[in-house]
Amino acid sequence: MNEQNSDILSKVEKYYQNYGLRAKELKSQGQKIIAYLCSLVPVEIISAAGFVPFRISGDVNEPITKGDTQLETIACPFVRSCFDVSLKGRYDFCEGLVLPHACDSITRTYSVWRYSLDLPYSHFINLPHTVRGPSMDFFRGELETFRKSLGRFAHKEIADSDLIEAIDLYNKNRDKAKALYDMRKSDPPLISGTEMSKILTVGMSLPVTESNELFAEVLEELTQRKEPPVRKAPRIMVDGACIDNIDFVKLIEDSGANVVVDSLCIGTRDYLPHTDVGGDPLDALARRYLDKINCPRTYREKAEGAYEKDLSARFGDIGSLGKEFKVDGIILYVYKYCDPFGFEVPARKAYLDSLNMPVLYLEDEYSAGTIGRLRTRIQAFLEMIE
Amino acid sequence: MAEEGKRQERKKRRTATEAASSIGAMVKAAIGGTVKAKEEGKKLAYSFIVCSYDEIIRAMDVVPVWTENYAGVCGAKRDAERFLERAESQNFSRSLCTYALCGLGFDQWREELGEMPPDSPWGGQARPDFMLSSGQILCDPRNKWYQAAQQYMPDVPIYDVGLPYPLYEDDIEVADVQDYYIKYIVAELRGLVKFLEEQTGKKMDYDRLSELVDLSERTWNLIWETYELRRAVPTPMGTGDAMNTMVPMVFMMGTQEAYDFYLDLNRELKDKIARKEGVVKDEKYRLLWGGGLPSWFALTDFNYFNSKGAVFPVETTYRMIEPIYRLDIPETNDPIERLAWRWIRYWTYWYDKARKRPGSEPDVERLIQYIEDYQIDGIVMHEAFSCRTFHLGLIWQLNQLRKIYKPIPVLILGQDGKKKEEKRELPSLILESDIIDISSYSEVDTRNRIDAFIETLEQAKTAAALYK
Amino acid sequence: MSDYFAGIDIGSTMTKVVIMNDGIISSIIGPTGPEQRRLANNVMDSALRQIDLPFDVITYLVATGYGRINVPFADKHVTEISCHAKGVAHLFPRCRTIIDIGGQDSKGITIDDGRPTDFVMNDKCAAGTGRFLEVIADALGIALENLDKTALGSKQPASISSICTVFAKQEVVARLAEGVPLNDLVAGILESLASRISRMVKRLKVANEVVITGGGAKNAGLVKALSDKLGYATLVPPEPLITGAVGAALLGKDIVQKATKNGLPLERKRRLLEEIEIL
Repeated sequence: MNEQNSDILSKVEKYYQNYGLRAKELKSQGQKIIAYLCSLVPVEIISAAGFVPFRISGDVNEPITKGDTQLETIACPFVRSCFDVSLKGRYDFCEGLVLPHACDSITRTYSVWRYSLDLPYSHFINLPHTVRGPSMDFFRGELETFRKSLGRFAHKEIADSDLIEAIDLYNKNRDKAKALYDMRKSDPPLISGTEMSKILTVGMSLPVTESNELFAEVLEELTQRKEPPVRKAPRIMVDGACIDNIDFVKLIEDSGANVVVDSLCIGTRDYLPHTDVGGDPLDALARRYLDKINCPRTYREKAEGAYEKDLSARFGDIGSLGKEFKVDGIILYVYKYCDPFGFEVPARKAYLDSLNMPVLYLEDEYSAGTIGRLRTRIQAFLEMIE
Repeated sequence: MAEEGKRQERKKRRTATEAASSIGAMVKAAIGGTVKAKEEGKKLAYSFIVCSYDEIIRAMDVVPVWTENYAGVCGAKRDAERFLERAESQNFSRSLCTYALCGLGFDQWREELGEMPPDSPWGGQARPDFMLSSGQILCDPRNKWYQAAQQYMPDVPIYDVGLPYPLYEDDIEVADVQDYYIKYIVAELRGLVKFLEEQTGKKMDYDRLSELVDLSERTWNLIWETYELRRAVPTPMGTGDAMNTMVPMVFMMGTQEAYDFYLDLNRELKDKIARKEGVVKDEKYRLLWGGGLPSWFALTDFNYFNSKGAVFPVETTYRMIEPIYRLDIPETNDPIERLAWRWIRYWTYWYDKARKRPGSEPDVERLIQYIEDYQIDGIVMHEAFSCRTFHLGLIWQLNQLRKIYKPIPVLILGQDGKKKEEKRELPSLILESDIIDISSYSEVDTRNRIDAFIETLEQAKTAAALYK
Repeated sequence: MSDYFAGIDIGSTMTKVVIMNDGIISSIIGPTGPEQRRLANNVMDSALRQIDLPFDVITYLVATGYGRINVPFADKHVTEISCHAKGVAHLFPRCRTIIDIGGQDSKGITIDDGRPTDFVMNDKCAAGTGRFLEVIADALGIALENLDKTALGSKQPASISSICTVFAKQEVVARLAEGVPLNDLVAGILESLASRISRMVKRLKVANEVVITGGGAKNAGLVKALSDKLGYATLVPPEPLITGAVGAALLGKDIVQKATKNGLPLERKRRLLEEIEIL
């Protein structure tokens, strides 16, 4: 970052270092905070109910201790960390918890979360695994159930108009996130990957209106920047599951590269897709969360023809981003014990290799200690690119 | 057999029942049968167990190739490692489901050679004509495994059947949501029928399907009644055997052979009970196998428990049935709808019971029911590192059970020097290893833990006896 | 006056220094103790003393290896992946695959024209590294360097199933108590390690020639087991420990030549042998 942080970037830094600070303040002002995990919870419904959605974040710098007394260590290390810090009381300001049927590590631990945190409200959203017509109808049914359940907790009926308003606010948020990404297209980029990770992570901890304001102010600040914050260096894309911290991206940047785009949550996968407007709001939300968010937990039927066509259908969005942001290399970063991503690493890697670009596949656990040990691999990879 | 003696093969495990000891040959014949069926031009489908589509496949004369079964066989024969290594060399992480890794390693090898890998256990796993994935509320690998296998068999199509069920919630009854769950599952199963019709060029015979659904419903009831016989003291059959007798339940449902198998088992158990013939001569501890798939390569650990006078009259694992007459399935002539209702009712069977006990949950409630019905002294679970589906939440279930259920009365010395009554929870043990990855297993370590657990059980018995 | 290039490779167990002009003129191999890790300057000093030259004759110095950041006087730090690629390609121009078996890590590298094209690495777990052999040799009371001699004459290597080093140690001790002959047991251990390394390396597109380096390459039994598992003949350099340091020195030479050719300034450190300051 620039030596002299602007007010807005200091604010981002403050909210990043004290993740949940703003939600805590809002709670003391009488607002109700609903925690959720993963990108597959329709936050629009939570906002429409008058609550503040708050994305649970893990902590790579906090050793997992208390969580291990309640949850097996064979769970995804990211989920374990989220659970551990929650159990230690970091997010005690939350009134409720919503988990989606993302993967086994989340689904199978719903009861563990529910009972261990003992919150007034909890709900599980069951996403189907395919995007066919009946799956969409079913998922709409699940969203209707969620709307009713949350409405009972809020003592209000969540009207279509409430949903439409929330959808509009979140779509604006996605426009602004896209504008932030556009700042990374120049070489060198106008915003570093580390800064971007901070901003996007913080965005998930704020009410959407405040997130929109924050993003707008950051954009304003960036257009004022006279000097890019980083030097020209190899342009790297990070592909993988969920990263809600700066540590991994910072390690890449400290090793002499610029991370200019990603195919991640928190990142392009969850920040960019819009919810369609004009039709039934629940239909539109069903489509966004089941189809538009391209997560390997959702099965997409094999495209007709050669296998390569199927790879393009499944992963084409990664290649498009790579082209759009003119990347020089891709790092595929997957957590140990992650079945949805793990089982498609060979296919994903085959697709990335077909882009004729250097690819580094790293398997890791969610901890600063193990991230540090990746330094040599990343440096060797950058030496390969240069 | 060629492969025997070559690998580190164990002696055949001692079983308590004739029925259990007949299973090995059945599985071998079934696996050999799929290879033969392929040669005869029948249509083969890679399939997963417990996906509510057994009767549909059977009615269409499609031959299921149970890929989880084959991986289990490789594991039991201690010959999974070379397939796991192949998968690992393909960039699959060794932390993923090892059934799937074993299957993918096998497939990759078979496709590379154009024939079965050398000395494949029991003749190998035949190449499928299509694959039936399943998107459930649990088990990510069932949704990813066959898709990954397509990398080696891009010409083999997949149909992914959506089979969700509602999770247990405080504020939502199953009745509130069942309509759209049923509607969805029915649509998915009809989609499967259509897919199979396209693949086989045959039309579904719905009368035949109805007969098969009738048959499997009778089989469910028969299994339940048969397994309940194990309540007897001494118990005539333990979990070690049940890990064999699960075969017709999960691999042969919807066949007369499966029904007949349980008829025989039922007779055998009744005979044993009449003769008071137990798994062990002197039954000291009755244990509940409360969760986790077994280590297929170490089923002899059950015999080790037996050698200490411990038996397992009941298990939650592979008891994939409930009595049909208790499931409250609405009247319908449509066999597809019956399958959908059976699915939802099975998975939500314990919900109502759980609501009646504060702090309980369906999985915990089921443990309590078995503890009481089968006069259980302790609980054993197994945490298989590679499978999140069945092995997350075990610690929590035990914690929760301890909190809400303390069945053992004991007298302890209070601070005032007077004896007072207190209730204790059941002793429990979690073993750690894997389903088929033997490299994660330590016999020394496992048996040390079992020994320590037996000592705990002994202490609990002594304390309880003092109370009396 | 000719140019001198130095490479210093601080591995997790061994520190290697090579000084080259046209060929290797000085090389030092010593253990990386807690002292050496801090005092890379002393190791460099010894290497210079061997050939009786002052430090300031060194045109360029590249540090590599696990402890490369502890060499404050290096002109450049390069990873061991690139250095092994360079060093091995120099010794074996037709080499396409390198397997390096170190004390605390092992890696596979595919190379083309002396540059890495892909690599895999294991440094998280003792299994699959030299550390595994150390632990087992210790449990059996055999000196590490005598391990492969002990395996001679084994007709039926024992099967060791545990991956975890701690479990494997238990298993070995138990098998020994069961009466499994020592040579079969050690042969089994070497096979088990070879199989672990081989399945990691197979994630790469392995091609001939395959060269094995690092401390593990000194164990002939391990090299043979690894060749069998991989299905490739393998080559071992005369001194398998120094390929990283050789590569580092050669990369330094490339950097200097490139700068000279393009008339670019060369960034170099002061020729002062100082120890790193560790706070």
